[in-house]
Amino acid sequence: MAENVTTVPVNQISPNTNGKLRITHSVCVGGPMEVHTIDGVMRRVRPIVLTDDDAPGWVIKARGQEFTPQRKTTMSLLGYCEKDRTYAYDRLKYPMIREDFVETPDGKNRNTENRGKSGYRRASWDEALSLVAREIKRLHKTYGKETITACTSSHHSWGLSGYKISLFNRFFSMMGYTRVIDNPDSWEGFTWGTPHTYGYYWRLGGPEPFDMLEMALQNTETIIMWSHDPDTTRGGYSAQESALWRWWMKDVGIKFIFIDPMNNFSSVKMADKWYGPRMGTDAAFLEAIAYTWVTEGTYDKEYVAQHGHRFKEWEAHLLGLGPDGTAKTPKWAEGICGIKAADIKALARLWASDVTIAGSGMRGGFGGACRTVGGTDYARLIVSLLGMQGMGKPGRNMWGGSCGAPMNYNFWFGGYSDPLSSIAKAPICDHPAVNTVEQVLYRPNMPDAILDGHYEWYGEGFCGGGLDFEFTRHIYPQPGYNKVHCFWRYGGSFIGTMLDTNKWVRMYKSPELEFVINQDIYFTPETRHADVILPACTNLERVDIGEVGNSGNGGYCSHSQTGNSWQVIVFQDKAIEPLWDSRSDFWIFSQVAARLGWGEEFTEGRNEEQWAKRFWQFSDLPKHMSWEEFKKKGYYIPPVSYKPEDRDPKTGLIENWDRWPGFQWFAENRPCDTPNHQIFQEEHKLGTLSGKWEFVSESMLYWAPDDEIRTPIAHYKDAWEGHKSLSADKYPYGMISPHPRFDYHTHYNLHAVWLWEIPENRHYINGNPYLVCRINPVVAAQKGIKDGDIVRLFNDRGSVLCAARVTRRVNKETIHAYTSSGIYNPIEYGERESWDKGGSVNLLVPGRLMGEYIPAMVPNSCNIDVELAEADPNFGQGFEHILDAVDKQQLETQRPIRTSAEADLLFGEKEAKIS
Amino acid sequence: MRPGMLVDAGRCMACYACFMACKDEHCGWGSALTKPQPEMGQYWMNIVEWERGDSERRIKTASVPTLCEHCENPWCMAAAKDGAVYKRPDGIVIIDPEKAVGQRQIVDACPIHAIYWNEALQLPQKCTLCAELLDDPEYPGKEPRCSEACPNQALIFGDLDDPDNLLHQRMAIRHYTPLTGFPTDPHGNVIHVDVPTAFLFGTVYYPEEEEEVCIGAHVKMVCEDGTVYEQDTNWAGDYEFEWLPEGKKFHITITKDGYKPIEIDTETGTGTHADHVVGMHYLEEV
Repeated sequence: MAENVTTVPVNQISPNTNGKLRITHSVCVGGPMEVHTIDGVMRRVRPIVLTDDDAPGWVIKARGQEFTPQRKTTMSLLGYCEKDRTYAYDRLKYPMIREDFVETPDGKNRNTENRGKSGYRRASWDEALSLVAREIKRLHKTYGKETITACTSSHHSWGLSGYKISLFNRFFSMMGYTRVIDNPDSWEGFTWGTPHTYGYYWRLGGPEPFDMLEMALQNTETIIMWSHDPDTTRGGYSAQESALWRWWMKDVGIKFIFIDPMNNFSSVKMADKWYGPRMGTDAAFLEAIAYTWVTEGTYDKEYVAQHGHRFKEWEAHLLGLGPDGTAKTPKWAEGICGIKAADIKALARLWASDVTIAGSGMRGGFGGACRTVGGTDYARLIVSLLGMQGMGKPGRNMWGGSCGAPMNYNFWFGGYSDPLSSIAKAPICDHPAVNTVEQVLYRPNMPDAILDGHYEWYGEGFCGGGLDFEFTRHIYPQPGYNKVHCFWRYGGSFIGTMLDTNKWVRMYKSPELEFVINQDIYFTPETRHADVILPACTNLERVDIGEVGNSGNGGYCSHSQTGNSWQVIVFQDKAIEPLWDSRSDFWIFSQVAARLGWGEEFTEGRNEEQWAKRFWQFSDLPKHMSWEEFKKKGYYIPPVSYKPEDRDPKTGLIENWDRWPGFQWFAENRPCDTPNHQIFQEEHKLGTLSGKWEFVSESMLYWAPDDEIRTPIAHYKDAWEGHKSLSADKYPYGMISPHPRFDYHTHYNLHAVWLWEIPENRHYINGNPYLVCRINPVVAAQKGIKDGDIVRLFNDRGSVLCAARVTRRVNKETIHAYTSSGIYNPIEYGERESWDKGGSVNLLVPGRLMGEYIPAMVPNSCNIDVELAEADPNFGQGFEHILDAVDKQQLETQRPIRTSAEADLLFGEKEAKIS
Repeated sequence: MRPGMLVDAGRCMACYACFMACKDEHCGWGSALTKPQPEMGQYWMNIVEWERGDSERRIKTASVPTLCEHCENPWCMAAAKDGAVYKRPDGIVIIDPEKAVGQRQIVDACPIHAIYWNEALQLPQKCTLCAELLDDPEYPGKEPRCSEACPNQALIFGDLDDPDNLLHQRMAIRHYTPLTGFPTDPHGNVIHVDVPTAFLFGTVYYPEEEEEVCIGAHVKMVCEDGTVYEQDTNWAGDYEFEWLPEGKKFHITITKDGYKPIEIDTETGTGTHADHVVGMHYLEEV
């Protein structure tokens, strides 16, 4: 490093405990929060405790009990990381330039092969920004606007001004760029599958969760969480709000069934029964259930006759009268999924006899089955089975137990994906930003496009616009356009979330990318591959405005704020000044825009608070609170819509409100009345081509009749990577990597060291936090692995070192390790395909997309092997030597790793008694 | 007001919100009652977890938020010199951060290992039940950080002297479980309930070739101490007896009309190995 930089961690500047407490508010994916600062230093974050001035609560009356939310908001463990994250050891403190970067006039010979390996030198903001502006001008002059591409991770910040669809979108659309289309990575099988069975493409295949909490508490007898771990995925980003609801469901006697190759974190606490099928075989399990119903006559024949389309053909397929001639009996399924035929029949009969909800779909689909090669079959079959049991009748639905609280649908405040809630669009801005470049890239395989110079695929990624959006064709480079030669990466890391991600490392080393900019808050795995690093500040160091869990009233998960008991709209005040030399994203983009000559047009003369105020202005907030009042109080909670007589005179709770239970309109044969519906639903039609429940898909027959993966009839097929594929001989275990419990995308584990002390998350050994992977005792014994050992998970694509947890929570075919590791620490730094000790298991997952016509990622169809290994003897995470700004002191504390021996000590022999 | 904390282990989802809130409060910041907790290595709110069950057929987990019990007769106070540990009138046990310097024996005295040694400060440290916040009129909250953070009502803070509050309501309907080797009864200001003991679980099937679970088989279980437990198998053919005494022998008899009775001898273990999946039982016709 050219310039030696020493730092003092801010949280070790002797805090003044006697200083004056200042209270502001914020929100992140971990929930809304009150932020306490003392003399400009963060003291703590805590939940918002409601006062008597805040909205009255609702009360759900069900089966003789009453349920009302606590008068406080919740935060997930991630929310409580905010202070730790803010002062994290790996914050980017200064603008930096790669030390062997050479600003050649033609963009060649820039030592790109050293990206990821080279150190950085500190630069001034002026030097860094001027370099960025000079390079943009050079690239524009040489290749045109399309040669710059940029993309962001989701949710590294929260707030309507600063979110990627807002600020980032405004800057890059104004400049013009090759957009990177996201894939619907959380719900692949639902997006690409269920619209062909029951419509709902505008919700990416997910169901309507509206008012489902009350519906379930009053009517449901059994909930089947199929590939769903609600306590872990928390309704997407709804703090820990729904945790208590599920205890309420237990309290009224609802049976909980979990189906997941891993006995997941909700299951081990709540399951009346857990089934652990082989990953990727759920479709066979589902077909056998349907077979049982068909042969025993235990389905809703009237409903199917009225709403079903080509049911008889599907029925014939189940009975073995279809082209494959195989009856889909429980015995047949047993051989595939590993669940005993007797157990399958028992579950089928329970589902048919009880009023049952399937916990699945958009906010219930994060578990992983939808991200296997058979993901669309699984998702479509869930929907087909729900149709057979009269979905929409009281208590019968698709709902994952984590959205669907009472909500005021008449109160409008924008969500992050609302077209009306972006500073790139009117009415928030005066002059909307329009990207004039048509060329696009596709995120899952962006490295292939850059490295091979050519890439083709079908589909728009997020296909909310219509069924046909799934079949549009894309070619990169688009005819008439130049290729991409500059990558501006913003917020987060895909090495932990995308596919076969050593490819991302290879991409960064390619001279095809002449210039790489990384704008982030932290030194993430991708930041380490940049030529110039622009350090942004956190949400807490700037002003924004946002509502907890609100993805948009009209977005793909419309009204997702029903994942919260309270609708909390927050003025995200600046709690502290930007730390070190970091700046707000808005400031950074404004500065670049100014250097490119359109600074005034970009800002429209507004500062960050003035932009935030625009969202207040164009919402229903001004009817209830002035801007000054809102800023002072910090939040507003709209009550559910009610009339004075709807309140219980004794408790003051609201017992009657406007409600529209999801899908009930359909079962009751009336025009659709739920929020976020399409015109044709008012004619009682679904969004399929026939308008009916399609057991044989007309849209598949129309657009892709030859697709061998997504067939007109959804059914189980052996996967191209799975227990029967060729690679299984060499790599016999299926690795599942569902959405994580102790992280969110890649935004927490890397920075918040407190998380490394959770034994089910990571084991902190010799300066490196090893990710926990879960291995069945039988496999562990064969391989000589003990609980707590370091093991190597590997296949032809890569190797990852993890800490083994030997547990019967996974079956003998399965190894579990959570995806979304923000940590990627190759042992040989900057070397391609080096073993990673950071836990980026996505290095191992296939780069191949689901099918020719389905551009879905399938990380849970992944064959690996495992062997005993050793922890890296070198201290630390491997990047300290290239970034002197790291606060090593925080890394040097060792901690003991807890075992159940401690539990034995405390709870060795107990004698319980009723007190 | 005697501030109390009820730990309802049966409601704990191990979401670690309490654990993180505790760190948020105490790491890097001290008060008159305590020095700052180091960034890593101390868990004043320690979630003790173990896996229950010895077969994939039935696995549960136990998670017990474990903090300083603020004992009625604190071991640490007895071990401390110069009054370095004291019990306040409200029951909260505090380690004096000045007087306790160098007194490592305070750490060793705690039977549940709730006291930690701060190497840099040469100081024993532990949970204060957030007394510094409860005492502070400027602080807007009214309870310790951990219980405020709990989304599941698994940590319930309340006045031990108020018999009508949620704490007492919940305590009345749960299993009370004193901690091992910890004969503090009456308890201190922290009370643990619903810490699991042992379960026995099994599934009854008709003869194997029939591929059917047996619903409604009668399962009678006699403990060596003479206690009789009875249950009919459920929709899945399962029986499950929870809250069994640990380390006991049981004799199980499974009966179903038309089939031979099944007789099994089994036992519960202790501690983290208390729970046992008895097996999959196939009936035989008479």
